[in-house]
Amino acid sequence: MLFNSLTFVVFFLVVYGAYRLLPGWGMRKNLLLASSYVFYAAWNPPFALLLLLSTVVDWWLAGRMGAETHAGRRKLWLIISLVTNLGLLSFFKYGDFLMENTKILLAAIGIDYHPPDLGILLPVGISFYTFHTLSYTIDVYRGQLKPEASLRDFALFVSFFPQLVAGPIIRAKDFLYQLQAPPVPVPGRFTWGLFLMTLGLFQKVVIADTLLAPAADTVFGHPFPLAALDAWTGALAFGMQVFFDFSGYTLTAIGADLCFGFYLLNNFHFPYGAVGFSDFWRRWHISLSSWLRDYLYVPLGGNRFGTLRTLFNLMLVMLIGGLWHGAAWTFVVWGALHGLLLIAERGVRSLTEGAAWASRTPAQLAAWLATIAGVTVTWVFFRSQDFGSAMKNVLSMAGFFGAQGDQILATRDLVAVGSVVVVVLILHRALRDSSIEAVVQRLPAWAVAAAWIVMSLSVLLTQGNGNAFIYFQF
Amino acid sequence: MPSSISNSEPAKAGPPIGDSHGDPSGGLHSEITRQRTIPDQPWPRIALAVAIAVVIGVAAWEVTCRSWGYRPGLDDTNDLWVEARRTVKPDSTVIIGSSRALFGLDLNALEAGLGTRPVQLALVGSCPYPVLRHLADDATFHGTVICDIVPGLLVVPYMAPPYKNAEKAVKRLHTQSWSQWAGLHLSIPLELTFACLQQEDLNLAALLRHVPLPDRPKAQIGPALPPHFSTIDRDRRTWMRPEVLTDQTLCDRVKYGWPPLFTPPPKPSWIPEGPFGEFMGKLFNERFVDMAKAVSDLRTRGGKVVFVRMPSSGELRQLEERLTPRAAVWDRLLKDTGSPGIWFEDHPELTGFECPEWSHLSAADSVEFTKRLAPFLKQALAAR
Repeated sequence: MLFNSLTFVVFFLVVYGAYRLLPGWGMRKNLLLASSYVFYAAWNPPFALLLLLSTVVDWWLAGRMGAETHAGRRKLWLIISLVTNLGLLSFFKYGDFLMENTKILLAAIGIDYHPPDLGILLPVGISFYTFHTLSYTIDVYRGQLKPEASLRDFALFVSFFPQLVAGPIIRAKDFLYQLQAPPVPVPGRFTWGLFLMTLGLFQKVVIADTLLAPAADTVFGHPFPLAALDAWTGALAFGMQVFFDFSGYTLTAIGADLCFGFYLLNNFHFPYGAVGFSDFWRRWHISLSSWLRDYLYVPLGGNRFGTLRTLFNLMLVMLIGGLWHGAAWTFVVWGALHGLLLIAERGVRSLTEGAAWASRTPAQLAAWLATIAGVTVTWVFFRSQDFGSAMKNVLSMAGFFGAQGDQILATRDLVAVGSVVVVVLILHRALRDSSIEAVVQRLPAWAVAAAWIVMSLSVLLTQGNGNAFIYFQF
Repeated sequence: MPSSISNSEPAKAGPPIGDSHGDPSGGLHSEITRQRTIPDQPWPRIALAVAIAVVIGVAAWEVTCRSWGYRPGLDDTNDLWVEARRTVKPDSTVIIGSSRALFGLDLNALEAGLGTRPVQLALVGSCPYPVLRHLADDATFHGTVICDIVPGLLVVPYMAPPYKNAEKAVKRLHTQSWSQWAGLHLSIPLELTFACLQQEDLNLAALLRHVPLPDRPKAQIGPALPPHFSTIDRDRRTWMRPEVLTDQTLCDRVKYGWPPLFTPPPKPSWIPEGPFGEFMGKLFNERFVDMAKAVSDLRTRGGKVVFVRMPSSGELRQLEERLTPRAAVWDRLLKDTGSPGIWFEDHPELTGFECPEWSHLSAADSVEFTKRLAPFLKQALAAR
């Protein structure tokens, strides 16, 4: 069920109405759990069983872990959890990819192998809820979290519909405690939740789908070399589209959670205001980057075992982060490029450490623009279907084809993308140390109302003609 | 109104990956924002003002759209197609093809003439092959297919939008979720109430396309689609809006939109003439092989296929003949498939219908045309 659909509007109203009417906290939680499974099953009912399986297995294993004092056996329960969750993720997400690459490898050594066509469908949101549950079992194993006694509460943490299919990736310790008692009424919370939902939908259906997607789709669907202007516009359009698409989803999720009285962490923090790639990852898909940091980078040793090991850890984490997004080598290369950029940034920082000019405005501005340019080039690999297309687009951006490159974008698309890019860069730069809440706090009430009216009418004007969220495929 | 739970700082992430200086845990402890800030604003008053303004805005927009001549009506979506497809029974008669069949074939007249009510599965601007292949692949189906042939659309390459349009509809049948099904049924009452809910013309993207901006001289921009000029009902019977007959400006906008749409795009400059011609020729020939195979598969199960060339007029008719001559496409199709075909100009009863905007029959003419066509269809189907 898409947030940007009439079905969701009706679903949300019905669930919220029933939530308010039900008398007891337990009954309300039952309602939210049942609604979340309906929400998920509305895509593909059998996959709800997979979600249930993952939930029950992790709840049970964590319970065993909590009751166990023998270190070896605790580790065994953890390994079973990891194998189960990562096994399911690998089968559904990477099964075909592994088969195809096995075929290519065997062909390289002269073995003609034809793998069966498994025809595997990717359960929507599996990458997200797998990480939800893994964080729980790992935290219980580490002794940082007590096992949740209630299967119902744990199942609701895993499956609560706003964040189920495209995050943010929430940790059990950030959410389970909120289920212990009904939310305390807070004036303005519901309305602020609705405001955030409207802002999220505006970002998704108006900015991402209407203003940016046409240019990105045209450029990345064009099979021939492009003029540099078109190639850059397409790459910038996609870079902005993926931000507004994903940020729009998570803002809607955060708003929906607020309406029910729950609190989620922010997942984006003005990422195009980042100065440097480590700063970018502090602001982009924060729930994933912090998950990878806490459950992969730090256990690998983080930066505690010398420079070479740190760089290796960094690259490994970014490669896995790339692969998390999809079963394709283009995603791995996207992750690798970010790994290289992070390594290069460390090199530059060590060379310029203590230099006064490095902290002055011109250098900071140059670093900011270089960050945006670097991130934009990496998006080409993220969006392209294959390496051939990606290289064609990168060469086009470099002006390799000169005047021979095809001009395929209408002036309308150039204007739309250019306008969005300029506004985003100015806003993200200006607000990099601020927040949406702080901005709204400072605005006069009439301006907040006017912005909300414009966003609402614009969303209605799109007539629900939006696309699925990009991150659903991950 | 400072909230008692307020935390005026934005939710901060921990140190980034690779930047956990001085923190041996690498920032393991995520900084939980247990509460979120609620900005200090008079939210009840703001919400009330927004609700009133949105209602007024929607009402004003509805009035404006009606003043432009729009009336409530359904959107021809893939979900509506899927709904029609699900009504197909093993022995049904179905119509496939393009908008000419949607506009030009009246279901009531066909029911009266053939004794069975066909299911309308034609799709605007589409190649008929993907739907024909889909029916041929349906092992339960052994009915009759009335296949509208627009020669230029029949031979489009598989990567062209007309082919993709048909593929998308077929794919939707297999992938439609409960929520998409529910969305169709929730949207129908709204579409039948509000004139402003016209996806083709009145959504934000369509409105932005009206902003007059000159394009770059060398820009390879595809031709614009025609404006909204039809209505469709739950059976997917489509009528040309009467305004097309009375509003010459609207009629001309539709009419002069066809030639660029029917003209194939120029050869990509990056592919040499020879290989490009060979490639396109191969695709052209393969389409006839594929059509013949699909017809043969249907026939094996007792199904029947009859091809129909619907009327077109004026310069468009001439353009079509020049780009896709009858001998090269129509005659070859009948020969390769061994199926009967009805070309409107071959029968005096079917000629003399003038398409107001060159490509489709008017609502009134479509009924008369179908009445006259039905006996020919019956005859063609009985002969095989």
